[in-house]
This record gives sequence, C-alpha cells and structure tokens, in this order.
Amino acid sequence: MCGIILVAFIFAFGMVRKVDRFAAAAMLTMGGCNLAEMTDLTDAARAIEGTRRKVLPEAWFAWLLVAPAMLFIAVIVAWPLAETIRLSFMEADLGGEHYVGLANYQDLLESRKFHDTIIRTFYWMFLSVSLKLILGLIGAVLLNAAVPGRGLFRVLVMPPWVIPIAIGCIGWLWLYNGYFGILSGTAQAIGLTDGPFEFLAYKNSAFYSAIVTDVWVGTPMVTLFFLAAMQGVSRDLYEAAWVDGAGRWYRFRRITIPQIMPVIVSMALLSAIWTFNSFEIIWILTEGGPRSATTTLIVDTYKTAIGNFKFGEGAARAVVIVALLATFSLFYLFFLNKVNKHYGVK
Amino acid sequence: MATLDLKAINKSFGTAKVLHDIDLAIQDREFVVFVGPSGCGKSTLLRIIAGLEEATSGKIVIDGQDVSTAHPVDRGISMVFQSYALYPHLTVFENIAFPLRVQKLQPTELNARVAKAAEILQLSDKLKLKPGQLSGGQRQRVAIGRSIVRNPKVFLFDEPLSNLDAALRGDMRVELSQLHRELDATMVYVTHDQVEAMTMADRIVVLNGGKVEQFGTPMELYHHPATKFVASFIGQPNMNLVPGTIKEMTPDGPVVALAGGHTMTIPVEATTAHVGSKVEVGIRPEDVDLGTDGLEVSIRVLERLGGASITYGSIGDGTAFRASLSGNAPVREGETVHLTVDPAACHVFDADGRVLRRQAAPGLVA
Repeated sequence: MCGIILVAFIFAFGMVRKVDRFAAAAMLTMGGCNLAEMTDLTDAARAIEGTRRKVLPEAWFAWLLVAPAMLFIAVIVAWPLAETIRLSFMEADLGGEHYVGLANYQDLLESRKFHDTIIRTFYWMFLSVSLKLILGLIGAVLLNAAVPGRGLFRVLVMPPWVIPIAIGCIGWLWLYNGYFGILSGTAQAIGLTDGPFEFLAYKNSAFYSAIVTDVWVGTPMVTLFFLAAMQGVSRDLYEAAWVDGAGRWYRFRRITIPQIMPVIVSMALLSAIWTFNSFEIIWILTEGGPRSATTTLIVDTYKTAIGNFKFGEGAARAVVIVALLATFSLFYLFFLNKVNKHYGVK
Repeated sequence: MATLDLKAINKSFGTAKVLHDIDLAIQDREFVVFVGPSGCGKSTLLRIIAGLEEATSGKIVIDGQDVSTAHPVDRGISMVFQSYALYPHLTVFENIAFPLRVQKLQPTELNARVAKAAEILQLSDKLKLKPGQLSGGQRQRVAIGRSIVRNPKVFLFDEPLSNLDAALRGDMRVELSQLHRELDATMVYVTHDQVEAMTMADRIVVLNGGKVEQFGTPMELYHHPATKFVASFIGQPNMNLVPGTIKEMTPDGPVVALAGGHTMTIPVEATTAHVGSKVEVGIRPEDVDLGTDGLEVSIRVLERLGGASITYGSIGDGTAFRASLSGNAPVREGETVHLTVDPAACHVFDADGRVLRRQAAPGLVA
C-alpha cells in the first residue's frame, strides 16, 4: 500500500516539475524576443499561470495530489469501519449471519460484566497514562539538564520502545514468575514474602503488574516528545528569568511547563488512545485473566469475536470503543485548542 | 544610582580568547554604548556584566561593590534581550510583573509599579494582551518595562533595536534617549550600528577583536579617532584611507605625498613616523569640496540623496574614494573631478594603524 502511495506521489511531483519546466521554457523564449517587455512582473506571472492552466487545471491537480491519501483512508479506515457497524446489527458466526437489529447492543447494556470492563478500561487508561506523563516529564527534565554523559542516558531511555513489545513482555513474564522471577526471588530474600509470589496469578497484582509493563513500554516515547519540546523553548526566556532572580523550580513552573503544555496535552491524548487500545501487552502477560481482572474493552472484544467466533457481538463492542474514543478525542481536541490559545501558540 | 567598573576582564571559550584585559570606568547616570563588528566580544562583555557568563579573570564593580560572583539580582542589573525574551503565555501585565512576582512583592505595590512602568512606556491600554498580539515596537517596550519595574542600578541592553524596521528603529532611538533622561539611570547598550551609538551614547566603547580600541564621547571618536579601525567604523559614509609617504618634516607637520600624485602638509604631530614612513591619510567624505585643484577623482557611481550627493570613485592609483558633496553638486557619473581637501581636516595613521595626534582640534566637545 505504502509503495503505491509513494509511486503516486512521485508521479504527482513529476507533473509539477514538468509544468514548471514548460513555464520556464515559455519565459525564456519570451525573454529572448525582448527583455524590456518582460519588466512588467505581473505580466510574466500571468504568462506562467496561463501555461500551467493549459497543461492541467489547478483544482484537478490538487485532487490528484490528495487522491492517494483519500484512497488509503477509504480502504484502510472507512470501509472496515462501515463493515464493522453493519456487522454489529447481525448475529454472525462461522455458520453465517442474519439481522438482529439492536439485540447485540441491548445485551451489552444489560451485561454487568461489560459495565465492569468499561470501568476497568478507563481506570487502566487513567492510571497508566498518568504514570507515563509523570515519569516522562521527570525523565525529560533529567535528560534536558546539563549533566555530563546525558547523551548516554538519552540512548538508555530507548530500549523499552525499540525492542519488540512481544520480546519485552516475555521478559516481564519471567520477572513476574513466582518460582524463577527476580522480583519474587528478591521479595523472598529480603523477607517481604514467605514463599514464591506469582504476580500474575492474583486479580489485583496482575492488574498492577500489567500497568507497570504498559508504563515501561509507553514512557520512552513520551519522554522523548517532552524532551524535544523542552529543547525548543528559547534559551533567552530562561536567561531573562534567571536575570530577574527566578529559581530553578520557579522557571520550571512558570516557563517550561506552560511552554510545553500543548505537547503535554497532545501527548496525553495520543497516549490515552494507545493505552485504551493496548492489546498485546495484556494478552501476552495474562490473556485478560485472572478472572477478567485485566480484561479491557479491546481484550474483551478480541475474546468475543475471535476467541468465541461471535462476530456480531464483537463488532458491537468495537463500535462502542469507536464511539467512546471519538467522544473522548472530540473533548480533547476542544481542550487542546483552548490550551493552545491560552499559551499563545495560536 | 550607580557606577560600573570593569577591571582587567578576560574571557576565553576553550582556547579561543574573546576578551583581552577590558578596563572600563562607567560613570553614574552615563549612557554607554558598546559598538563593534560581529564577533568583537561586545555581547559577551555585556553578558559578563549581567552575570550570564563568568569572566575567566577580572573584576566587576558596581557602586564600589565587587559583584564578580554575585547573582544577577544581587548585582542590581536588569537586561533587555535582543529577542525581547517575552513569555508568550503571559499577558503584558504579567510579563512586566514577572520580576516582582519572583520577589513576592505585595499586590498593591506590584500593581502600582507595573502601572507606572506601563504609563512611562505608553502600554497602559495593552496590559491585558499577549505578546503575540503586539507590534514589534510594543513588544520592545514590554521588554523594557520588565527591566524598569525592578528599579535596577544598571540597565543592560543587548542590541534591542535590531529586530525592528528602519523607521521604527529611529523612533525607538529617540524614545530610549528620552527614557534614559527620565529614569536618570546608568545604561549600557550593545549595538553593531554606529548610528545608534553616535546618537544615543554619552560615551562609546569601540571594541574590535576583544580589545577596547577607544572609549570616548561620540565627538571625540569622530574628530580624534585613536586608531584606523575607529576612524573607519565611525562616520557615514566611511572615512577614505589614502596611502601616502612622508616626504619631509616641517614645523607645520609632515609633508605627505598621497597615492595618485597629490601632496599635502598635514598639521599632525609625527612622533611615531619619520621621513620615508608609509602612512595612511584619513579623509572624511564630508571634508572635501569640488574645486579646480586637489585630488583627482574619477566618479563611478553617484547617489543623489537630495540634501547631499554621495560619489563613489577612485583616485589615480585605484584607491577607492567616497565624497559627500552638496545636493546639487554639478558632477556626473563617469566624470573626473578635482576635490580640494583641507589638510587640517585630515587624519594620519602610521603603519600600525595608530593615529598621529592632530595639532588642531576642530569641533572637539569637552
């Protein structure tokens, strides 16, 4: 798909070059006739404009440029979304499908388990995103500080993000293992627990263990974004504040935070969506267990649709996710707009 | 208010030495301008005074107190940055109030001080706006406002007008001079623009390659430049430098044969030169006149400015020569004319670029 888009863009840019070359050639011939006539710049501009219009109308050309992206969105986003919505009104399994109206949604509405899943998902998202933002901010401040060897530390932040999530999660599986894991081992060695402790075997510890792993995976990118934003803050602002007697904490609070606020808000939104939909970490660690303790909406949807072949019910869950995230995003974009206005970005 | 003394300031960045033994004594309520080409160390020197950079060696004394290692606030300085360094997320009021908020000043006192600063700078109706909604000149004023609310002993300005367009720069120059009179404060101002230096300064420090070339009033610098560098830096259009050789010594000064064949007796004290010395004669474009003898100059380009006509040309041996003639001087491009030069208006520089002291001192303001 990407290859097709790339080719389309190269073709489109090629057209631009061709048009311009033609215009340039026209200019040259005109210039050759009489230079004095060319002194009127508006005339020259009109000449180029005219030539271009003959080759390709500008509106068509604009459509040609956006067409690959539109096609991409249609195939990858719009069609599957429409299909999912259609499927959510069906009773569908491997045997076939038939229309049931709103029955799937009604089941969800009445299901106590589904309510718990929604609450759990939001709690999962809120806790994980908060931790990622706080740790990311602390990490970025430390990396931004003028300490020797910070180049090395910047590299050391990367591994959780760079290594494949599956590999990282398998590493965590071993850490959480009661009999062979270093966490359980250390806890026993210092007398915190009497015997082996299986982190993923109990409802609460499994949930918070999954949070820790999710934060571990998600923090580096937040850190790097915050760091980039902090480095974009003009040095003059800090120097001016320093000359006026503002201390380190005051400068952080009154300059750094407001200056990177738009990035914090954007990052919070992106991170929230990713965390809401975070699937592989939970699936590899616990498969949603024990007793649904780590089952978030996305895991529930997968289990229903792919695990139990109830495609219609799964589709209804997916639509609920889309609706929730869409509402959430709208609210957030509105908020982001306000933040940008307040902090002088717009 | 305050005096500011710099004693043997040196500054190196790694192996690069950017300031060499700077000694300056700036008086109370003086408006001093540091001027020089880019990279001459003028901004670094200002940052050292501000406390943003540490001098490699030397002392900074404000009001008799050694503040070389003190925090900027304790030095009693405030600084206006080239970029203005306004906080984009704060209103004009909060920007001006920033230093007072840091000091945790009482709200009534804070409001009064911000209001007063805003009034001086004609910003009273802009206090609720954000910097992004202001024009360049207004932003500049907010930056100045932030520096005056603290009542510092010494104001520091780092090229504050360089981001403004030419017309506004002229207006702000006048405003700053006025502000200096109103506040009656010691001000140090950095610029690379010699017009700003000449118009605003009580005294000018000309810096070149990290060294002080000369420290004096604008008129001293204009009429008695200590070096060839100062002579060519101060004055618009630039001073002409014509190579010559000393032919003879007379009680009235050395007789100098200029390149291009003209010979003059110039009334200077030839202490560091002798017969046969190679010298350079500095002639300001505004010190020449059209005549029937004198320097023979072929004019390449003529600029009519209305009040004056500037000609660009060269004398016999190809040395470039600029002249500022009357607005309707009867000259044309491509023409060769004779320009008379008053020998008393000439400057003579020895082979090292140092000036030979002029016997007459036209227009020297004490």
